[in-house]
Amino acid sequence: MNDAPILSARDLGHAYGSIVALHGVEFDLPAGRIGLVGANGAGKTTLIKILLGILRPTTGSATVLGFDATRDMLDVRSRIGYMPESDCLPLDVTASEFVVYAAGLAGLPSNAARQRASDVLTLVGLEEERFRPLGGFSTGMKQRTKLAQAIVHDPELVFLDEPTAGLDPEGREEMLELISRLGGFGINVLVSSHVLGDIERTCDRVLMLDGGRVLRSGPLSHLVDADIVSVDVLGDISAVVEHLTAAGAVVETSGSRLLVSSSDDDPFRLVRDALVSTGSGMRSLGPKATTLEDVFLEGGGT
Amino acid sequence: MTERGVVFDLGYTPHEGERRGRHGAIMTTFRDGLYRVFGIRRRARKKILPWLLVVIAILPAVVFVGFAFLLSTFAPDVESPFGGHAEYFGITATVVLLFVALGAPELLIPDRREGVLAVYSSRPLRPDDYVGARAASLLTVIAGFMLIPQVLMYIGFAALSSDSFFKALGTNADEIPKIIAAAAMYALAYAPVGLLVSTIASRKAAATGIFFAVMLIGTALAAALVEATGVPGHRFAALLGLAEHPAQVSDWIFGRVGSSDLIVANNGFDPWVSLIVILLVAGVSSAVIVWRYRRIM
Repeated sequence: MNDAPILSARDLGHAYGSIVALHGVEFDLPAGRIGLVGANGAGKTTLIKILLGILRPTTGSATVLGFDATRDMLDVRSRIGYMPESDCLPLDVTASEFVVYAAGLAGLPSNAARQRASDVLTLVGLEEERFRPLGGFSTGMKQRTKLAQAIVHDPELVFLDEPTAGLDPEGREEMLELISRLGGFGINVLVSSHVLGDIERTCDRVLMLDGGRVLRSGPLSHLVDADIVSVDVLGDISAVVEHLTAAGAVVETSGSRLLVSSSDDDPFRLVRDALVSTGSGMRSLGPKATTLEDVFLEGGGT
Repeated sequence: MTERGVVFDLGYTPHEGERRGRHGAIMTTFRDGLYRVFGIRRRARKKILPWLLVVIAILPAVVFVGFAFLLSTFAPDVESPFGGHAEYFGITATVVLLFVALGAPELLIPDRREGVLAVYSSRPLRPDDYVGARAASLLTVIAGFMLIPQVLMYIGFAALSSDSFFKALGTNADEIPKIIAAAAMYALAYAPVGLLVSTIASRKAAATGIFFAVMLIGTALAAALVEATGVPGHRFAALLGLAEHPAQVSDWIFGRVGSSDLIVANNGFDPWVSLIVILLVAGVSSAVIVWRYRRIM
């Protein structure tokens, strides 16, 4: 497998007049399913527009699949797909006509465009509705059509901007399931979302933006599996805390619950020794269940 | 005993065939433009007006040729009252004006209003390519409106000629470049203005109304202003009659200057002034359209 990054940025910045949307952004993201997370206004859409070549960076540069996003815009666009957050469907044509058209716009010959459109609409679950005008589609069906146009030309990488926006719980589940399957088709994915649960469900890496800067970046497992032990102590906790602190552990207390971490030693072993030495009992012991939201908030995200 | 059917899940098949890149994207946008203005692959009501205009543009040519046939059969000494190629541009010009008023908004406004530009922005297509392909669609349709009836007449009159068919075609061959040049003038005069209005207006009905206002009310306004003899340079108001300039240049091409009652001609402006106005308006309109689309795509 090629380890070369599919997306990278160096000192990337963009400003809308005096408003700085991105500043000093740097990352190298390998192939896979990447979550782009951040609050509204964090700079996610600006970053995607730069990667698509729609916006020119004010400073620095970005590459997509090895091509400079600004200079080699057409090379980039020949290899990627994009599902925008906003409406992008003509209401007076059928889903089939529109997806065929989207394939043609990506350079596919007519016959291939028709075949691909039929296959992809089936894939997203619109085989029954494909000859209906898009104006009569529900939000969920429209989102599926948007996904279909984004992958109809078999891109190497697809950008999905808030793919679950406006969906009911059932539609959201189905969309997340579809996104999870894209990796199996050889399509790399960048999912932009402010719903952190969606990113946890679908991605293996994450790029966190906050206030136009990179907050965290890396494999999701590294971010959420923090080396912290949570233990719920029975009785007086002060002796346990004292023992742990003396052993070099960092301890946070919340009622009878202790969060224990250590840069030098295994926190599980330290907790075990402290409980044994002090003769204390416990209700529960385990790794702290860290969500992406915890990481985001701990990192200073708002 | 019947055999059981087997369902195969073919899953996802990657596309390993041809990719035409930017050229394919431009041609697809161009072809879609042609479909749109004629309502092809759209609801039936979107087909009515464009195809009605096609009939209106072509039917008189058929009548001209038919009447010429009747005259040549029953009254060979009587000349047709309908005139020839130059006069026919007067008929098709009105139809083309109507078609641009309806077609130009259809080409640009829905893509903006419905957010489809975001899809174009993810394809190997530059903003200039998009605008160019849409403009090419409109110009092709205008050329069709202008040239198809003229070709019908050219062939029809040659078939009715007392000379042999091919000899008549050859005799009248000098009309061909004139017809093409005159058609190009009308296309250049109407299409860029129609597209510019559709670039600015946010609704199709508004764009159609503004285009009519610019082309028709502008001409009426020009006629009124040139009468304001007390105002210095009042005759220059005649240049505001944008709809008349291609007629003036067309008359020039066919050697009929002064034969039409045009405000611009009546106020002493030579045809080359009209040609410059057409080129200037087309150039400025095109520049504004491209500038706007480079900002939003």
